Amino acid sequence: MSLREVLPKFDIELVDLRESVCCGDPIKSVNNFTAVYLGARVLALASLTGLDDLLVPCNRCHFTISEANDTIKNAKTGEKIKTLLREEGLEYNPNIKIWHTIDLLHDLVGLKKIKKAVTKPLKGLKVASHEGCQIIRYSDLGRVDDAENPKKLDELIIALGAKTVDYAEKLDCCGSALMYSHPDSALSLAGSKLKAVQNLSVDGLVVSCPDCQLMFDARQKDAGTTVGAKLNLPVVYYTQLLGLALGIEEKKLGLYLNQSPADQVITKISA
Amino acid sequence: MSMAKPNLEAREKILAKLRGRELVNCFQCIKCTSGCTALKLLELKPHEIIKLVNLGFVDELPSSDIIWTCVTCLKCVQRCPQKASPYHVIMALRNIAVEKEAKVPEGYLKAVSQILETGLIETPKKIVTRKMETVDRDCLKLPKINPPKENFQAVFTKTMEEK
Repeated sequence: MSLREVLPKFDIELVDLRESVCCGDPIKSVNNFTAVYLGARVLALASLTGLDDLLVPCNRCHFTISEANDTIKNAKTGEKIKTLLREEGLEYNPNIKIWHTIDLLHDLVGLKKIKKAVTKPLKGLKVASHEGCQIIRYSDLGRVDDAENPKKLDELIIALGAKTVDYAEKLDCCGSALMYSHPDSALSLAGSKLKAVQNLSVDGLVVSCPDCQLMFDARQKDAGTTVGAKLNLPVVYYTQLLGLALGIEEKKLGLYLNQSPADQVITKISA
Repeated sequence: MSMAKPNLEAREKILAKLRGRELVNCFQCIKCTSGCTALKLLELKPHEIIKLVNLGFVDELPSSDIIWTCVTCLKCVQRCPQKASPYHVIMALRNIAVEKEAKVPEGYLKAVSQILETGLIETPKKIVTRKMETVDRDCLKLPKINPPKENFQAVFTKTMEEK
């Protein structure tokens, strides 16, 4: 929702795909070939729009589609995939550039343009950032930020006038992938990180991946119960913060939909 | 009790799924295990899995719960100095577990049938906000989610036959 609000402010128009389909991520564990097919299928659907750029806001989808794109370079697998796509009347397009929210805003729009567009600087706000795992690893595949010391999300936050903190648990995983097999362990990972961030006395945690958001925001209460901590930490999307700094109404940014106390962030910046 | 025997044929099957990743170069530096997210909670030791596969002791792994504890944080792929990539080995073992009809966490099997049916891993849900208001995609004015066209199911099923 917030993504749809903020991108037009930078002259980026979003076009929805013909259909919404799975990228293949959960199927990687079941049958990698099917996962590659689904990833390639998203690229083929993107090609139907006639555009060359695909925005994938979810870290896991971004990784799965990128790895599928890489696997297709293998002639034998690639041919099989392309033949199957044709059975669905689809055509694989190798020229589609796969973007994530972070590199789209940081590298394409640029920090300068973002700084210039800010009308309500988020002065006095101090947050921790979480870029997530699959968007920064593994580098050989070509990822959007440094694998061990990601900085782009922090730079994007600082561009809005807010402050970020460096913390030991920054690279810790949200645990989401374990929800399929070991939900308690998944919640324990999310809870441990939330507990650590809460102890930093920050105003909130900023994420950009919907899967991480689901773990840290929607499942925050369960995560707190699992690790035996009282959690009350606002978790917001970067694009929600960006929207606030651009002066977009909070309702349009979906801040009332966050399950964590996102209003604390709003109170802080309007103080 | 009989001693475990190496199964070189099964080992080859795993290697074939790795598309040229050099598993044999692993020199047990344990960088993967020391950084493993799942090690903290679930005692996943990626270097041991690599060693077992290298020696051909692979019959037990697909039926072991340990391969399903990987969080897929990809730190092991990133940090492996020998490009042995434990993550990809674990994924190959999971695929083999499915082929062998070993015990697979239900969540994954549900995911397959859900995608086959709707194209999506989960159907859009209504949510209840902090102020106890129920909202769905329609009232948020989000675009309609169109299901995949007819031929999708047939082709999806075909891809699942690929080993």
